[in-house]
Amino acid sequence: MPLSAVELTLDGNIEELERLAQEVTRFCRDNDLDEDIEFDLNLAFDELFVNAVKHGGCKGMKEAARVRIELQEEGVRAEFADRGSEFDPTMVTPPDLSAPLAARPPGGLGLHLVRNTMQDVQYRRDGGWNHVSMWRPV
Amino acid sequence: MIQVTEEVRAGWCVVAARGRADSNSADDLEAVLRHAVENNPKVAADFSGLDYISSAGLRAVLQAARAAQEGRKEFTVCRLSAPARKVFDMSGMRHILRIEEELPC
Repeated sequence: MPLSAVELTLDGNIEELERLAQEVTRFCRDNDLDEDIEFDLNLAFDELFVNAVKHGGCKGMKEAARVRIELQEEGVRAEFADRGSEFDPTMVTPPDLSAPLAARPPGGLGLHLVRNTMQDVQYRRDGGWNHVSMWRPV
Repeated sequence: MIQVTEEVRAGWCVVAARGRADSNSADDLEAVLRHAVENNPKVAADFSGLDYISSAGLRAVLQAARAAQEGRKEFTVCRLSAPARKVFDMSGMRHILRIEEELPC
């Protein structure tokens, strides 16, 4: 049984990030979750959403993504889904963090951040949707 | 939303960013940092006011740092806020950027 939950639908527009951040922040404050948890949830949803819009073909799509945050006894279950092309973020090779500045590729850090802040990251493709489920202990 | 200011003092151009460095604001942050690097020999970014930074914001900093390296300019990132410190540490930025607790001036 979730103690509290919120759901949100996002259009395929990067400007939706602002609304996403507002909702995540409101949920965390309403449930007395600290700023560190609030930051981690914001970061994970941000990175997945931006990826779906910029690289997954969600740009310009109405109701392109869905977010669900569910507070449980020992943590927060964070679910992200998008209607973009099939993409499993758990299969991406981690970036080489020891590479010198000049050799660092400009991208590839976003999913690394998701996997470092969230636990139990699971992916499934279902009915034209990418579903990513994550866990953040409290 | 992000506010970025640029101020020259004691030979350094200090670029102070406040607010959110995300995909909506990363281009603005990168533009100010690059402008500072192009026009000054020494640039210090003050990130004490960053409430939030994603990989897009990080990329803006990396691009500016790269421009500084190519132009043989000094570039340092100072006074990381708690969220910025977390993201910089997770991304191994300490290996490739000069990160300081305090501003140089």
